[in-house]
Amino acid sequence: MNDSPLEGAVREQRLVSAFVEMADTLVDDYDIVDVLYRLADHCVTLLGAAAAGLLLADQRGSIQVVATSSERARLLELFQLQADEGPCLDAYRTGEVIEVVDLSAAKWRWPVFAPEALAEGFRSIQAVPMRLRGQIIGALNLFGRETGPLSGQDLEVARALADTATIGILQERAIRRGEVLTEQMQGALTSRVIIEQAKGLLSQAATISTEEAFEKLRNYSRNNNVKLSHVAEQLMRGEVRIDAL
Amino acid sequence: MSESGELSLPLRDLVSSVLAALREGDAREVAARVGRACLARLPIDGVSLSVMVDTGHRQTLYASDAVMEYVEAVQFSLGEGPCFEAFQTGVPVLVPDLASDAGQAWPMFATQVATADIGAIFAFPLRQGAARFGAMDMYRRDPGWLSDAEVATVLQITDIATSALFAASAGGEDGEISEDSIMELTRTRAVVHQATGMIVAEFAIPAEQALARLRGYAFATGRLLDDVAADLVAHRLQPGVIDT
Repeated sequence: MNDSPLEGAVREQRLVSAFVEMADTLVDDYDIVDVLYRLADHCVTLLGAAAAGLLLADQRGSIQVVATSSERARLLELFQLQADEGPCLDAYRTGEVIEVVDLSAAKWRWPVFAPEALAEGFRSIQAVPMRLRGQIIGALNLFGRETGPLSGQDLEVARALADTATIGILQERAIRRGEVLTEQMQGALTSRVIIEQAKGLLSQAATISTEEAFEKLRNYSRNNNVKLSHVAEQLMRGEVRIDAL
Repeated sequence: MSESGELSLPLRDLVSSVLAALREGDAREVAARVGRACLARLPIDGVSLSVMVDTGHRQTLYASDAVMEYVEAVQFSLGEGPCFEAFQTGVPVLVPDLASDAGQAWPMFATQVATADIGAIFAFPLRQGAARFGAMDMYRRDPGWLSDAEVATVLQITDIATSALFAASAGGEDGEISEDSIMELTRTRAVVHQATGMIVAEFAIPAEQALARLRGYAFATGRLLDDVAADLVAHRLQPGVIDT
């Protein structure tokens, strides 16, 4: 499924920096949604995925998109389709890695999702469950442009990235007895909704695409060292001026 | 937990019951029906629902007993406590053992409620992203967590409550509220959130009002909220037309 896999030493170096960056964000005061966006980006760089997304259990029986490697509207819709059916939902429900080496052979399995994904030019998919002590809180989803499996080593990296995301979500607040994750999960899902709202606001105000609006939000958040979800919320409440972005 | 995010039958009953109260334009009755549904389906001893009347201020629409009324009153006079926090931050606050958990986070609140017969408090915000409508709070005499299945039920009820109380506050839709319109906010796509932001930008109004306008426009034109939102985001519809 790799588009342009990095080779040898370069790849190893990138891998190390990715995990160091993740570790840094976990010990510092950070924004879980921003960490998840970075993780999705790393999946594209390190694993040669054409697109990556993280979906969290909404605790009502389905899953919702929280972060993606690209905010392209069609791609978001494609990830979100999996609230009803698709490999990511299956990974979440079964707790197994779902590997689809040839999507065109999976139309019977996901009659809505598979044709839509094929139409967008994707040929293979991996979905890796995010686990915590036997409980599954979501799944990491990788889309590839070529048919075929991930290498064993890449699958290990994907698993490690999914585990890192899980730890990130849990650490946002001290885990009280480690039983219920409702505060963290619902908080992350709400942040995602506010980011979508802020993307709409900014795209309308500045006459730019929602994708460009997201980049502006993200840059402002990084340059000013403010949490992404915080910028989005302030913008929606009129507490940050639009031209500041 | 239901299999595909579909509502289980008892919650469908709640939707119809809430709908009937909405048609009579009675927000307090809507809140009462939601509250009684919580008492019937969850291992709790009391529940309350409050809505935001203007920035930061809230009005309790329903409290099932005197303990819940007391808990609400204490928090809003002190400006601290789990329900107050859920209301302010928009994140659920679950306190499975009030006696041991509350002292550090909310010292004044802990002192005030020490003599009340409360083991656990669970507070859930009613919101859609930046649009905040209120909160639903519950307590139990015995300490302990809610199970995953109970959390799923609470979240489905908060979805219904958010949508219903929102419809009640938006008003002007008498006779036009349907089961679909109660459910549409509970399964929204990204375009609805983006369209809400666009309306906020166009008219410089709060997110709650923007969402109300979007819904009102969808009603008036006999279309689905999702479709109106998709047209706005794709620039097939200009936000300026969503003006009332």
